[in-house]
Amino acid sequence: MFVFIHRAVLASILAGGLAATPALAQTSKGDRELGQYLSSECVTCHQLSGKQSEGVPAIVGWPEDQFVAVMRAYKNRERENAVMRTIAGRLSQSDIEALAAYFGSLPKPAAP
Amino acid sequence: MIIDRRRLLVGSASLGAATLLAAPPVLGQAKPRVVVIGGGPGGATAAKYIAKDSKGAIEVTLVEPAKQFVTCFHSNLYLGGFRDLASITHSYDKLAANYGVKLNHQTARAIDRDKKEVVLEDGSRLPYDRLVVSPGIDLKYDSVPGWGREHEETMPHAWKAGPQTALLRKRLEAVPDGGLVVMIAPPNPYRCPPGPYERISMMAHVLKSAGKTKAKIVVIDAKETFSKQALFQEGWNKHYPGMVEWMGPKIHEGLKSVDPRTNTVVTGFETFKDAALVNVIPAQTAGRIALDSGLANQTGFCPILPENMKSASDPNIYVLGDATIAGDMPKSGFSANSQAKVAAMAIRGELTDARVFPARYANTCWSLLAPDDTVKIGGSYEAKDGRIAAVETFVSKTGETAELRKETQAENMGWYAGIIADVFT
Ligand SMILES: Cc1cc2nc3c(=O)[nH]c(=O)nc-3n(C[C@H](O)[C@H](O)[C@H](O)COP(=O)(O)OP(=O)(O)OC[C@H]3O[C@@H](n4cnc5c(N)ncnc54)[C@H](O)[C@@H]3O)c2cc1C
Ligand code: HEC
Repeated sequence: MFVFIHRAVLASILAGGLAATPALAQTSKGDRELGQYLSSECVTCHQLSGKQSEGVPAIVGWPEDQFVAVMRAYKNRERENAVMRTIAGRLSQSDIEALAAYFGSLPKPAAP
Repeated sequence: MIIDRRRLLVGSASLGAATLLAAPPVLGQAKPRVVVIGGGPGGATAAKYIAKDSKGAIEVTLVEPAKQFVTCFHSNLYLGGFRDLASITHSYDKLAANYGVKLNHQTARAIDRDKKEVVLEDGSRLPYDRLVVSPGIDLKYDSVPGWGREHEETMPHAWKAGPQTALLRKRLEAVPDGGLVVMIAPPNPYRCPPGPYERISMMAHVLKSAGKTKAKIVVIDAKETFSKQALFQEGWNKHYPGMVEWMGPKIHEGLKSVDPRTNTVVTGFETFKDAALVNVIPAQTAGRIALDSGLANQTGFCPILPENMKSASDPNIYVLGDATIAGDMPKSGFSANSQAKVAAMAIRGELTDARVFPARYANTCWSLLAPDDTVKIGGSYEAKDGRIAAVETFVSKTGETAELRKETQAENMGWYAGIIADVFT
């Protein structure tokens, strides 16, 4: 899974998707409280506990820069999934950073 | 963009203003009180989020007669043999244990809007500062001539999950090869637009799997078109050739009557006799409590303010889910859950000093056509021009690869686990 993410980050950078590349170096630009509200949309599918279930992957405890890159890849239609494209489509850069800050701050479940 | 209640309140002389901020809303009352009527995905989600995010600052009582909730969502998968009943049955216990939601297992008999009290079955009253009403739908038992509440055992609806769902499956299993199944499909608006058509797919799957390919499913629809129609019809032709015959009003020329004693269905064009199973899905309204309390308009559903799900007719009441007129959002469990989060945030903003952000709504509905062949439709929504309007929508395409359809089914299963974790734990 992480190999996959790194590839997505790379792909976004190559595609010029990461206009705000310097953001990668920093941490927690996001408004965590906004992130918590926005996350309520995500947790209808993605479990807050970090449990992956069938076709819905776990999204908690990620490094924020990777989270932002993956969300931008859906927004920029470099990643396929129709649900995620629609969801990411209306998120602004600061929304995505807020989500990255919130989900990034949650603990991953103990390794199975 | 961020609406700060504290700032909004400056200069506001409304009655509500006094009940806001951290100050006790009523003299001598320790905590603001929220009562929620209905423990479906609308009500249970609202109760959880208000209790969880207010961290005990708001007292939340959930009024729901049932001790366990059977989801209509994935009840078609139960019908098709892809799930058992236990896996779609959920308890409210964790809402009490994890967030301190008070469970009151009674039916709300009335809402005293002047006194801001809910009157329960046993005559006791629950006072509220804000009330959430999420009672789902009621069936219009007089909408199909010849059929009524007393016939729901002979001609089941299974549009409220539980014993009806189990009965429909039992009856389906008893359909012989060569037997006739008739579905009466409802007029708009109704709970779960793709639901009847997913159900037809699951019925056909059960019949086909039992080798009963000479059985036939006739659909007498009140509508000329339906949700994901091209996708369903493609699926039926592919998986169940010759088994499903769908008719809109132009073809059947109107549903005239049904006779539960002889299992007959009469349309303007044709009479279907001796059906092995008739599944009547009648027209629908908002749940009775919403109608009785004057929250609905002439359509039988409740108008709401699109920015926060507040009732258009009472500033102390929020209405959620199937009972509402939610613009472009369909009546689904996903929608009800999404609306509940917007309302929960708005209520916390009114009763405490929580931050309030602009409402965002979402929905996706998956439909299983056959094993590992699933399609989806969905969108994101926001308040616009006085209604809830779609921002962006998507729908599966005909002719998609088997691989993509299989992935879509994995999403469907993952979503179910996710929404259950979100609503009930
Ligand atoms: C066959 C079928 C398939 C479906 N598939 C899907 C799907 O795949 N995805 C999806 O998102 N949706 C699906 N749905 C739709 C979904 O089930 C509903 O939209 C959803 O349950 C609506 O939630 P709600 O909270 O508005 O109402 P409900 O879920 O109906 O909950 C209302 C609750 O209120 C209680 N109640 C009513 N009146 C009172 C009262 N006076 N006092 C106290 N309690 C009261 C009831 O007991 C009930 O528990 C499907 C529906 C059907 C029928
Ligand atoms: C309707 C269900 C649904 C909702 C709601 C949803 N997602 Fe997803 N998400 C998915 C699915 C399914 C995938 C896998 C998609 C794929 O294969 O590319 C996914 C993938 C992801 C990924 C990539 C995971 C990985 O391992 O590659 C991230 C990050 C993500 N979602 C974040 C979010 C955020 C943030 C939200 C809320 C703003 C959200 N999702 C809302 C269903 C959903």
